[in-house]
Amino acid sequence: MSTDSPTRADEVELPDLDDLRTALVLTLADDELVTGHRHSHWTGVAPSLEEDLAFSTIAQDEINHADVWYQLLVDDNGDRAAIDELGLGRRPDQYRHAVLCERPPGDFAYTLARHWCYDHFDDIRLDVLTGSDDKEIAAVATKLRHEERYHLEHADHWFRRLVRGGDEARERLGEAIQEVLPEALWLFEPLPHEDSMIAEGLLPAYTGAQLVRWLETIAPALEEAGFGDALPTDLTDWDREDWQVPEGTFSEQRGRYGNHTDDFVEDVWPEMTALYREHPGASW
Amino acid sequence: MKTDLIPSVDEVRAAVAAVPDPELPPVTVGMLGMIHDVRVDGGAVEIELLPTFSGCPATEMIERDVRDAVAGIAGVEDVAIRFRFDPPWTADRITDEGHERLRSFGIAPPTGSGAVSDVKAGGRRSLPVMASRPERGADDPRPCPYCGSEQTAQESPFGPTPCRDIRFCDSCNQPFEAFKNL
Repeated sequence: MSTDSPTRADEVELPDLDDLRTALVLTLADDELVTGHRHSHWTGVAPSLEEDLAFSTIAQDEINHADVWYQLLVDDNGDRAAIDELGLGRRPDQYRHAVLCERPPGDFAYTLARHWCYDHFDDIRLDVLTGSDDKEIAAVATKLRHEERYHLEHADHWFRRLVRGGDEARERLGEAIQEVLPEALWLFEPLPHEDSMIAEGLLPAYTGAQLVRWLETIAPALEEAGFGDALPTDLTDWDREDWQVPEGTFSEQRGRYGNHTDDFVEDVWPEMTALYREHPGASW
Repeated sequence: MKTDLIPSVDEVRAAVAAVPDPELPPVTVGMLGMIHDVRVDGGAVEIELLPTFSGCPATEMIERDVRDAVAGIAGVEDVAIRFRFDPPWTADRITDEGHERLRSFGIAPPTGSGAVSDVKAGGRRSLPVMASRPERGADDPRPCPYCGSEQTAQESPFGPTPCRDIRFCDSCNQPFEAFKNL
């Protein structure tokens, strides 16, 4: 590592975070960055060597996916100083990830339950974005979805394995799903300026429509696993033809508006940005 | 007309194509199908590359090696390298020779590009999430790069680099790696 990089971070300016395209891409990038940091917890301490490898790889993938999204927001996608400034040089309230991503890894059951909820969400979101009118966003979404397939298969594999793995395994996964689900819904918190993103063709489907697709995928699996009661009661008739996300489901502004908990502000953020703040512009 | 001082597109393209992948030295940037475009304007060269796996840590080394290779060509004064995502790189861009080199290195080459097999675009998953699956890797079988046997199984979907998984050959009892279908 050297700190004599030709471009010092204090010469780099953040782009306009409220610009529509920037606002949309930051939600993707920040979800992946924070998820990657939380997954990296398991490096060296996962329950098995295979899982150590799996979560270390997934963590590396997610942080790199964040990097690719940040590249779309800088003028020159080889400008490391500008990319690092976006990834690590913002105040906590300027990050747009969902609160679920910032929660501590908990036990392995919690990690797997969140992994399953998140990667099914991410798969749907990327599929939607492959239809974006923004060619770069569509191309990156296509590319990342191919890579994310391995994460999704890993999450599904563990879901099946624990459901069928005996009483304790099923019970602990069930408890973790109960804990994760209410917060996982907020992965679909309506984005600021979502109407304009839709109108401009940046975002081909509302977060509400993405939520319905997510429920179509996970609800039958939860039902079959015997976890059907984990779904909040006002969402259980999601398969009715005219069903819409109930008003009041997103009653306040959370992660997509930069409102984060101490799990981010006091834990992930200080650790994630420590080196960057200590040595702005450092290169590896 | 080609002169000694103005590099040709073919010359530059050949130099870029010959750069070895730092992690898989028998395979070159050309064999991987990473070159999108090469433009030459006098002494100024512009190269557009498609990154393979988005999180590939070798990307920066490849950029450096491409720059060094092209800078050595007579008449080249300036080299600009850009990685682009549109169109996305897919595994079917790897040439036949690239497949052969991967095998010789003990890595089963990809069999197709990113088959997101059970997820339909714009629709729900075609398989129920809980449906029982065949043995891991059975939907993406790879012959053993050493003995050619098809009696192989995927041991781990995650391997030594983000773009490879780990397999085992039941015929020659040899572990091997497979390039992921991306």
